[in-house]
Amino acid sequence: MKIYDVIVIGAGSVGLPAAYSLAKKGLSVAVVEKLTSVGQGENKAAIGGIRATHSDPAKIKISKASLAFIRRLKSEFGQNVDYVEGGYLFPVYQPEIADSLKKLLVTQKKADLNIDWISPEDVQEIAPGIKREGLLGGTFSPNDGHLSSLKLAGAFYRMALHEGVNFLFNTKVIGFERGKQRVTAVKTDRESLGTSWVVNAAGAYGRDIGLMVGTELPVYPDSHEAGVTEPVRPFLEPMIVDIEPDEYSDNYYFYQSKEGSVIFCITPRPKRMGTDIRSTSEFLPMVVPRMLNLYPRLRNLKVRRIWRGLYPNTPDGRPIVGYDKEVQGMFHAVGMCGQGLMLGPGLAEIIAQAIAEGQEDQEVFAELSLYRDFSGQELLK
Amino acid sequence: MITIRITDHPILDNAVGNIISFTFNGQEMRGQEGEMVSSALAANGVRSFSIHKVGDAPQGIFCANGQCAQCTVIINGHSQKSCVTPLAEGMEIETLVHFPELPADDVPRKSHKPQELTCDVLIVGGGPSGITAAIELSEQGFSVILVDDKDKLGGKLVLQTHKFFGSMADCYAGTRGTNIGEILEKEIRSRENTHIMTNSTVAAIYSDGKAGVYENNRYYTHISFEALIVAAGARERSLLFPGNDLPGVFGAGAFQTLVNRDLVKASERVLVVGCGNVGLIGAYHALQAGIEVVGIIDIAPNISGYKVHADKIQRMGVPIYLEHTLICAEGEGRVERATIAQVDEDWNPLLETAKTFAVDTVLIAVGLTSADEYYSAGVEGGFPALKTGDAYEIAEASSAMIGGKITGRKMARLLGKDISMPPEWDEKAEILKSAPGKVEKREILLPDEDGYRPVFHCHQEIPCNPCTSVCPHDSIHLTGNTNTIMDLPEFQGKCIGCGLCVLICPGLAITLIRRSTKPGLVEIVLPHEFNHSYQVGNHLPLRDCEGLPLGMGVVRETRFNNKHRTHLITVEVPENIGTKVAGIQTQEEKVTVPLPEPRYSYLPENAIVCRCERISVSELLEFIRENKVEDLNQLKAARLGMGACGGKTCFDLVPRVLQQAGVKKDAIVPGTLRPLAVEISMGTIANQE
Repeated sequence: MKIYDVIVIGAGSVGLPAAYSLAKKGLSVAVVEKLTSVGQGENKAAIGGIRATHSDPAKIKISKASLAFIRRLKSEFGQNVDYVEGGYLFPVYQPEIADSLKKLLVTQKKADLNIDWISPEDVQEIAPGIKREGLLGGTFSPNDGHLSSLKLAGAFYRMALHEGVNFLFNTKVIGFERGKQRVTAVKTDRESLGTSWVVNAAGAYGRDIGLMVGTELPVYPDSHEAGVTEPVRPFLEPMIVDIEPDEYSDNYYFYQSKEGSVIFCITPRPKRMGTDIRSTSEFLPMVVPRMLNLYPRLRNLKVRRIWRGLYPNTPDGRPIVGYDKEVQGMFHAVGMCGQGLMLGPGLAEIIAQAIAEGQEDQEVFAELSLYRDFSGQELLK
Repeated sequence: MITIRITDHPILDNAVGNIISFTFNGQEMRGQEGEMVSSALAANGVRSFSIHKVGDAPQGIFCANGQCAQCTVIINGHSQKSCVTPLAEGMEIETLVHFPELPADDVPRKSHKPQELTCDVLIVGGGPSGITAAIELSEQGFSVILVDDKDKLGGKLVLQTHKFFGSMADCYAGTRGTNIGEILEKEIRSRENTHIMTNSTVAAIYSDGKAGVYENNRYYTHISFEALIVAAGARERSLLFPGNDLPGVFGAGAFQTLVNRDLVKASERVLVVGCGNVGLIGAYHALQAGIEVVGIIDIAPNISGYKVHADKIQRMGVPIYLEHTLICAEGEGRVERATIAQVDEDWNPLLETAKTFAVDTVLIAVGLTSADEYYSAGVEGGFPALKTGDAYEIAEASSAMIGGKITGRKMARLLGKDISMPPEWDEKAEILKSAPGKVEKREILLPDEDGYRPVFHCHQEIPCNPCTSVCPHDSIHLTGNTNTIMDLPEFQGKCIGCGLCVLICPGLAITLIRRSTKPGLVEIVLPHEFNHSYQVGNHLPLRDCEGLPLGMGVVRETRFNNKHRTHLITVEVPENIGTKVAGIQTQEEKVTVPLPEPRYSYLPENAIVCRCERISVSELLEFIRENKVEDLNQLKAARLGMGACGGKTCFDLVPRVLQQAGVKKDAIVPGTLRPLAVEISMGTIANQE
């Protein structure tokens, strides 16, 4: 039986950077992935937004670290992930929404985030062609951005390979072997792998992994659909988020990628629970009229492809990060609520420091503990 | 500006539409109202439609079928695929350079929900199999919606100027493809419970039992269905060679579309790659359109198409090069030369055998891949789903017709109709899709007495019988071991020289022979599907069945049969070659002579794999090695398959590149095709005015 220091379950947005950071600290690491290659689960379904402007301190901290890491990828690691620091723009047409966003600004500024309320004129300058009528202004955070999730997964894969990480694809975890308390091996449908540590980064299927050691992780995926258009010349830099709901859906968001395509996604109401990722007829008629209402010139843009991905949600909208108290050696990093892409790189260092150096980030571990009270709700997810 | 139209096609009528003006990059041009913009541009000599962002490479027409995006141009400020956009008066058309500009069109308009249609069975594709499936289902009382992306039903039949093989009783053998298409369209349009949507593309089959349809190039419509039949045909395979994305490299389907549907003389001189029926017929269509064919090459040691097709082409003066590969296509911004070479047993080119031809077109006919992803979507969705025609199995249109009927009946049974499947249908289908069987050379004798007798230059078992059903004296019968229409024809009885068998033979493989009144000479009646100016007394170069030159014959009579649009040319030849004469050489030898010295560079890794994103073999190899790729989906990070066509062309080519990089064949994970199948503007999806 091969023996590793750490087995990471899942080669996705969270598992890949974690495997890299752990190996970078000198540990021997294997990544076990049930799918055929890197990023084939929710990573490739992510539309690519990366922001630090959350409302929870832990998430702000993690995603700030993510952004810092991503900004270094090209210069320090030679990895191009099509990162564009175009900012996040929340345009506002309803006074109640303006009030709640302005209220949130206080917390966000306290966390030292670069975000502010901007005038309708400034909104129009950043988003040329956006609907003028009734525009009250919006919030804008210029240091947020977007990137290619496929390229980010590829970058961390190459960096992890370079650090000697071993990848086992088409390999499904079926259970664990335990000593008195500690996990000693991961059983897969191919072979058993000896280990001292397990990082559960199985995303939407993280709850299934928890159940294998008798731990109930409250991760329940719902699904969102997304699409991408043909590429056109650059006309839009920021990610635009419209949080004013309509009859059938909550927020939707879109941006123009570095390649020139507009990538878009919507949150349907009610939520579609479960792990079905087949495209439905509801998506395009739900999202497109809303986009055209906000941004009429998008009418001439051709939709190229659509897909559906999962948001591994927790009851309070915050991830679960930390040790399993019942099973020594088991570390969970699941329930990213659709934000694994923006949290993964920042979490990697936190996970690696904890496992390799025994240094725990108390703030993050307390706020995102599996054993917290899940009844709260983030102000703006 | 030059206009390159085919005005004297021997088979097709040149119905000239309303002539209108438009501009291309500011230059005034004229075209036919309603024809596709791509054809109008091609008819005005335009080869380069867009400039690719990678390497500023000029891009020409490749598929002419709305599948790729190489023919995208800017029309009145909007980027459009020119091969699916009808020409209108005053259009201002420009070359697309890299990416289009999104017009600043900021006036809000009202959106509308998709119209919701309902049917028992949705049929995707109105070619031979889709139509016959629809007819059968309508016969059984089911409501059908048939969706097809062209303005005329019939699928690829409408591009076929040649007479069809198969059986007269089941699939209109002996009739030209274009006419079969019209017959089938008329039949399906007479059905009441069948709704036909032309100019409409199924863009997605959704998991909730609806199809999203890009209707009439204007609306986005939903169709709810109980069951699904996929008759979407097939896609042409591409080929990896340096220069494979130069303007002037066409898929065979694109070439047929330009030449036979739109009567645009897309080329002066062509090299054909692929000796299957598609390549052989493509070469024949080129000749009919007045385009020179320097040769047909195939890497295999045998001709995979029907022998009668290959023989016919060789008789006309087109050489076939077996065990040859294409080294490259080269030229300044368009194809000007193509170089071929013989291969060794491992298919490596022997460069010392290289031959370069001066051609402006390379026609790729290297096989087809079933377009069956909607079938998979149907199965995934849990609906009753069947596939038929080429979407099920690549075969002749004759077999698709009976296949569609069987599929229609099968679907009726799946949907609970208590009706049996006639066992003979399956038997017929099996025969019609048979690959060519064994070749039997038969000795041909001169008739003893006065009067005609037919000579069959038909030596290979293929499913075909029209000659047996037209003889007024019932003197032609099939004989052989199979007891099916695969058997070869034989004459026994009386021949009055009416020529009906000569006229109807799809292979042009029947001639008539009789002794001349002059001693030592015989008269041969030959079928001829070309316009000609032969006069009595002219000397014509004649060839034997497989194309060997036999010397000259003297024209004695020419007749034209309007129903078959075929000429009968009577020539007089010496007795010793009489039984061998099978056709007239129509193309001069000098056309097929290569350049005195080969002229090429051999850089196979420069071949383009992903046309949309213009990714070469060498770039892909580097990415595969650096990222230990075994999964095609992983290549999307290199943008492979992320372009307009969504992997429809390159996913077929990549496994070979992966193997070249050392990945084991069975480790390769195929790529996933996702909806939408065609790009649709957001304005259309929202059904805005």
